[in-house]
Amino acid sequence: MTQSLKLYVRTADQTRRAELDLDGSSTGADIIQAAVDNWALPADTDYTLVNTTTGRALAPGEDLARSVRPGDVLEVQPVLVAG
Amino acid sequence: MQDPRRTQRYRRHDLIDWFSQEQVSAARVAVIGAGAVGNEVVKNLALLGCGTIDVFDFDVVELHNLTRSVLLRESDAGRNKAEAVAERARDLDPHVTTRAVAGDFWDTLSLARLRDYDCAIAAVDNFEARLRLNQLCLIARVNLVNAGLDSRWASVESFPFAASGEAACYECTLPESAYARVAERYSCGGLRRRAGLERRIPTTVITASVAGALAASMALRLGGEAPRHAQRRLLDTIGGAGTSVGIERREGCPGCGAFARPPRIVRTRNRWSPRRDDQSIAGPDIVEQPVRLSDPLITGYECAACGPLEEAARYVNRRAAEFDDGIATCPQCAAPAVRIEIRDAFTVGELTARFPGGPVPAKFALAEINGDAICIDLEETPAP
Repeated sequence: MTQSLKLYVRTADQTRRAELDLDGSSTGADIIQAAVDNWALPADTDYTLVNTTTGRALAPGEDLARSVRPGDVLEVQPVLVAG
Repeated sequence: MQDPRRTQRYRRHDLIDWFSQEQVSAARVAVIGAGAVGNEVVKNLALLGCGTIDVFDFDVVELHNLTRSVLLRESDAGRNKAEAVAERARDLDPHVTTRAVAGDFWDTLSLARLRDYDCAIAAVDNFEARLRLNQLCLIARVNLVNAGLDSRWASVESFPFAASGEAACYECTLPESAYARVAERYSCGGLRRRAGLERRIPTTVITASVAGALAASMALRLGGEAPRHAQRRLLDTIGGAGTSVGIERREGCPGCGAFARPPRIVRTRNRWSPRRDDQSIAGPDIVEQPVRLSDPLITGYECAACGPLEEAARYVNRRAAEFDDGIATCPQCAAPAVRIEIRDAFTVGELTARFPGGPVPAKFALAEINGDAICIDLEETPAP
């Protein structure tokens, strides 16, 4: 049986925030794609995910069930490329 | 004897208990990119009295750069950015050794030269340059600071490769979409696209100054011990909010996955003759030893309709990145039918046959020999 995990996701500017039940097999890339789609974030920007509760950046393919805990706050941050 | 003007210049710094002018004045920093962030970084390093600053950039100054570039003037339009920035930095503090290197850092910054720096700062404007600098710093074990920005956010990451062989690298959290953007610039597995559209990301000097300040501070390790783990700071320059997170090494990372242990660098002085230089990579099996070159090479050029082409001599055994996809059009029948073979994987025997005693047109070759990671440095070391 797949376990679900309740946590929070927000954008870096904190104007978008959602509570979600995480599927046991979800990765950071899945969360980012859902955020881009549901919140209509700019599609020409690249994003990364950080766990603000633990102060740790998450790898794109990381299995979230192993790296987050209930109630953790994940933040979708832009990958900045201009210099 | 110490120049009294120099002593007076840094007197206020000496009053700061966590600031070591001695450490800052001994620091040697390479700044890759003299755009908006590069200007701010060089300005900060010069005013702090950093020992040596080398500025690398191939680009020339355009008028639209002036709104974000504190060291540039209208009269600099058309000049190489690195040269203009280095000249102004010398005006800020003549005690700081500031040098310009005009050209693409991939062509001008050898591994041997990179190892002379305490830190390299990526102040570039694209993923590809960051990936390349990350790889160079990983191999050379030189600290990397990466700065990026847009119109609102400033991000600075620190990768302490010199302090720890286990530090995460730039690619450990890089999303797949970034690689897709790099791939958009190439076709046929390595030729540059002629009709590629570059993304233009608007920025202001506000975000550039925040990123430049943090980057200079992290490069000089101001106010603390040298970190042993990678970290990222993201700051909102409008609201002031920010986050600071640690970056952990990713298993199977395309950047650092191959470097669980620091690769040993073997110098060949631009000649493909490893036996003369290092006995550890000699032996009867060396001919079959696989190596991966830093730069994909064109190894075949033939039209599907016309067959072998005499123009092949212009392209074969040269870096694919030197050419765009226009060469896929046959010079004889004008059809886009040229089959171009591009490879970065060879054996030592193949390279010896292709480049007998001559230079291999690549920065380095990576190999795993007897369980050791080896980086064969193929470049001459240019004078600083």
